[in-house]
Amino acid sequence: MLAQQLLNGLVTGSTYALFALGFTLVFGVLHVLNLAHGAIFMAGAFAGLYAVTAAELPLYLAFLIAMLSGGLVSVAVDWLALRPLRQRGSSEFAAIISSLGIAQVLMSAGQAISQTQIMRFPFGTFPVVIYEFWGVRISLLQAAILGLSLLLAFTLLLFLFRTDFGRRVRAVAISERTSSLLGIRPNIVYFQTFFISGALAGAAGVIIGLAFNSVHFLMGEPFLLKAFVVIVLGGLGSIGGALIGGVMLGLIQTIAVSYLSSSLSDAIIYSLLFCILLIRPTGLFGKLHIETRVVRS
Amino acid sequence: MSNFILGHLSLFELVLVCSILGYSQYIVLRAGVFSMATAGFASIGAYTAALLSVRIDSPLWVGLLAAATIGALAGAILAWPLARLRGVFQAIATLAFVQIVISIGLYWESMTGGALGLNGIPKLVHFGHLLLVMSMVLYVLITLSRTGIGRAFDIIRQDETVAVSLGISVVKYQRLAFVLSGVLGGLGGGLMAYRNYSLVPEDFGFPLLISALSFVVLGGRIAVFGPLVGALILTLLPELARPLADYRLAVNGVLMLLAIIYWPYGVVDTLSLHWRQRRAVRTQVEARS
Repeated sequence: MLAQQLLNGLVTGSTYALFALGFTLVFGVLHVLNLAHGAIFMAGAFAGLYAVTAAELPLYLAFLIAMLSGGLVSVAVDWLALRPLRQRGSSEFAAIISSLGIAQVLMSAGQAISQTQIMRFPFGTFPVVIYEFWGVRISLLQAAILGLSLLLAFTLLLFLFRTDFGRRVRAVAISERTSSLLGIRPNIVYFQTFFISGALAGAAGVIIGLAFNSVHFLMGEPFLLKAFVVIVLGGLGSIGGALIGGVMLGLIQTIAVSYLSSSLSDAIIYSLLFCILLIRPTGLFGKLHIETRVVRS
Repeated sequence: MSNFILGHLSLFELVLVCSILGYSQYIVLRAGVFSMATAGFASIGAYTAALLSVRIDSPLWVGLLAAATIGALAGAILAWPLARLRGVFQAIATLAFVQIVISIGLYWESMTGGALGLNGIPKLVHFGHLLLVMSMVLYVLITLSRTGIGRAFDIIRQDETVAVSLGISVVKYQRLAFVLSGVLGGLGGGLMAYRNYSLVPEDFGFPLLISALSFVVLGGRIAVFGPLVGALILTLLPELARPLADYRLAVNGVLMLLAIIYWPYGVVDTLSLHWRQRRAVRTQVEARS
């Protein structure tokens, strides 16, 4: 019984991690809390859903379309809401406000398109197969979620730490000025970062839409709130931290739900977030050096 | 004009309640704290006021006073850990506070009624009460901004290092701003409870938080009348231009976006800055002639 709960927690946790990957990437590179990430995730899920229901495409194509449109929406968010602020050198507060503003516009568009309805992927979009090992049941979908989030996280890590492109991203993350002196164009790096972040959000949108079998215009909000916990647990801006943080959050939540109460689990999770912020604001695994005490940049 | 106001009395009541919540957000932002805790304070205040009037039939002023006091208490408790954090971390921590308040509201069914909420709260608040409360709040805030406290808030917001070098205790003033935000948030919540007949925990979630923020961003973060003007614009605009009412969320978002990009100081502050500059130019010209 406990093993089954732990497995369920692992799967839930990897959906959280999947969502948080793109969120933490943008924070790591731009030091901006992109509160529109939930809305981008919703846009990706919508694109995937309509590709399956309206265009009747197979799931893998729908998945690619969702990633592509998530990426494009994310780039548009950057262009409309964050780029003007960056050029003026505004504070992080301004970025929070403008990303909240564009998130509201996107959510309103989603509401208009879906007519405030909860939509579902048609039955059989993903084959229903259930395996059983040593008394633990795992469906093919759950296995796919686990595998896919690991795969995406490792691809992202490889990308960032083993390629030329990743070296440029990391250089810009450390200092925009220095890297532009070294011949890197920060605007292109920001463009790529937002595209990848949005593509990850789109992938997460389809997977989570399949897993919970519901796609609606407010679906991003609870995940965005959970993503705060995930990235604080793992350290803001850390990719590996987001993966571990997500899994930890999933395990804690499942255990809290099954042994205490489902409505109290949220209180436990956010109190945990509060405690971690007080004890270790850079996260349990964070190597990121952010000045949390002295000066506000 | 008076006819227009009488015809839309409930709308103006809404503007006043909203702008009191806006002031709860305003006071922390003015002191340079990234708090989003207003929704949490409002929830605590609203439940306090509603329970007092439903369970023991307490009169309006007792309920509002209790709501403000509990809000202040919550602000004081929250200010202690938040003094350690800066910037984005403050925003995340206060968001967590709002979530904790919502989930306790859902869990503690014997007290708050859980997801069904509290119903049958008497409507004790009328337009006159709201005007009275509003003018009291404005009086206190204007007085505050003319004394050293307001100046200290302004310096801390602009540059903490300068504030410290001038011997201003950042922690002390930010704590004060937080307690004031708790008082105003609790008061606004209490007024909401006495106006809306019923309360559910989700009333005090993300949407309330965003609208309180948008009043301040649109209206202005420095001048005292900023949040009132912001609330007036954002509440009246969908009513005046009826076709916009269906897209209230999008209008809100677009205005927030435009305000923060093109008018980063908000309507009132930009206008007052413009006016002050013109006056300075005029005095220069007069001095020369």
